[in-house]
Amino acid sequence: MKRINITVNGKAVSASVEPRMQLADFLRESLNLTGTHLGCEHGVCGACTLLVDGTPIRSCITLAVACEGARVTTVEGLDEDLIAGELRAAFSREHALQCGYCTPGMLISARDTVMRMPDANERDIRVAMSGNLCRCTGYVGIVRAIQSVITERKAKGLSSPPSPRAEFGPAGSGRARPTAVGAVAAAPAAARAARRPGPAGAADRAPEARRVAEPGVGKPQTTLHESFTVDYPRAKVWAFFGRLGDVATCLPGTSLLGTPTDEHVETRIRIKVGPIVSEFDGAADVVRDASSFSGVIRGSAHDARSRSATRGEIQYVLIEDENGAATRVEVDVGFTLTGPLAQFSRSSIVHDIAWRMTDAFARNLRARLNRGNGSARADSTAGASISEINAAPLILSVIWNRIKTFFRSLLGR
Amino acid sequence: MKPSAFDYERPADLDGLIALTRREDLFVKMLAGGQSLGPMLNLRLVQPDLLVDITAIPELKRVEETADAVILGACVTHADIEDGRVPDATGGALPRVACGIAYRAVRNRGTIGGSLVHADPAADWISCLAAIDAEAMILGPSGRRAIPIDEFMTGVFQVALEPGELVEAVRIPRLSLGARWGFHKISRKTGEMAQAIGAILHDPARDVLRAVIGATESVPIVFSGAAPLFSGSPGSGLAKAFDASAAVRALEDSGITDAVDRQLHLVALKRAIDQAARP
Repeated sequence: MKRINITVNGKAVSASVEPRMQLADFLRESLNLTGTHLGCEHGVCGACTLLVDGTPIRSCITLAVACEGARVTTVEGLDEDLIAGELRAAFSREHALQCGYCTPGMLISARDTVMRMPDANERDIRVAMSGNLCRCTGYVGIVRAIQSVITERKAKGLSSPPSPRAEFGPAGSGRARPTAVGAVAAAPAAARAARRPGPAGAADRAPEARRVAEPGVGKPQTTLHESFTVDYPRAKVWAFFGRLGDVATCLPGTSLLGTPTDEHVETRIRIKVGPIVSEFDGAADVVRDASSFSGVIRGSAHDARSRSATRGEIQYVLIEDENGAATRVEVDVGFTLTGPLAQFSRSSIVHDIAWRMTDAFARNLRARLNRGNGSARADSTAGASISEINAAPLILSVIWNRIKTFFRSLLGR
Repeated sequence: MKPSAFDYERPADLDGLIALTRREDLFVKMLAGGQSLGPMLNLRLVQPDLLVDITAIPELKRVEETADAVILGACVTHADIEDGRVPDATGGALPRVACGIAYRAVRNRGTIGGSLVHADPAADWISCLAAIDAEAMILGPSGRRAIPIDEFMTGVFQVALEPGELVEAVRIPRLSLGARWGFHKISRKTGEMAQAIGAILHDPARDVLRAVIGATESVPIVFSGAAPLFSGSPGSGLAKAFDASAAVRALEDSGITDAVDRQLHLVALKRAIDQAARP
């Protein structure tokens, strides 16, 4: 717990808060100021917008503890405010609200628009208000209400108060006192282990019932195609692909949970991208067709920490190359991600991560094929196994160069 | 949608900050405005042991002008730049880009340093500052160094910072009076993350012609010498001389093969060039 001292609607407040408590929760839960609404809780909808040091901020992604010394004004604190009063009248007149859920945030942003943009036209208002979502009105009434207040103030020759901010930096941070550094205790070992289960944590885990791969649903969100050639006859490569555990652990960050069979494997896949660490536990089933040298691996997995889930399918086909001396492996990956990770990520980022994983998978597979066949062939590009995709910064151009080098080394050019 | 529990400290100075970030027994994450980290914490995609708030350190809010550059502390916000509270040496380029980032309530807390370190490919500063050839000024246990922005980001959410290092400030070169710039982003909705970004800087007096295709799947594509994007001399009129074939090749080399995606990026670049060419 941390002690904070802030001013809320003109009153000094001193309280103990958990560091993880967002400002909106502190106001609503501790001070019973429920005029501040929470919608999306990740900074998109604008319902929680309020004033800190006189400027609008998102209170769902601003920690209460980071507002030490700040002046907080919620919609409850704008009763006597001149511009807010004009806006309230205009909102009523223009039917700028229906259910009222977005209205506190709308009023805060509208007041800021009136103050900062005394010459705003309809388009300017729509852009300025684009961070506040309304599901009832279609925005027409809201824009008209703001427009009418701007027009009235202009007609009366009323000027806007000067900008309330003079210092630089995040609003609310200006008067924050430093905390005494050095008092940070190590996180309890148990808590750390629970939060970051590594291989050791996995061993402690109680044995669970056999995981079942869920069938894929509909068209996958993300699809990728990868093709690479290994200089071994197709029969050998086919035999290798039959060892499901060996194939699965070619996926970077993957470890086996239990002993795989020929048709079923259970794995943990650890993915680290910047500050995001996910551990997907899941299962996959394979169906192989020896007559066409092809197979389909269907899998699903769940990340207990972020409560995200993924399900997908890998199809592969082995094609004879160089008169049977080599084998081309064609891999098609398709998967769908659901839960917070999907909610946060945009498709391009997921695509990039999947691309890097597929690329690392192909290189690991090749390295393992070489090892498994007792090959003495030195291959610097495919020799090292990639255990985590962030092990090295994988820039696309770097990957392309590696692929080119890899093909050149394969073809002896 | 509440963050998992973490500890919180707000050091007073850079020494205190570096001491905390060197803790190897904890997962330490630095917090500036928290406008990208906040959603990740709420979604529990990031679960740190310790958040270190860097906004109480005066050096990180420092603003300095030199003969050839403006230096903005890492904790300067988008709104500080938008409102002209900090000096501008880019002929209005930075304030224009700043006012298009997310929404005003986000710009009042989101910082230039935080945006760079977060390294989201679709963010505005990483592309804009790569076009302007800015530098990240880095402080770490072994002293200070600077990295050009076009080398700073190494992948999605990944940057060229060593353990214990932080971005102290951003150095923005002073453009010549005759410099022309353009920045265009395509988003589904105002304030949303970009689907495509185009940026160009033409500063003949300093012999600079740079272009950026941003909001790709990974690092932005930077043409530090952008002459191949133009047939003939770009001086004769950037918009007329634009030749898309080199840009198409660069997009294909970066793995952008989807026709719609490629076209979005080309249009963003073309519009940035048109903007730079406008009198």
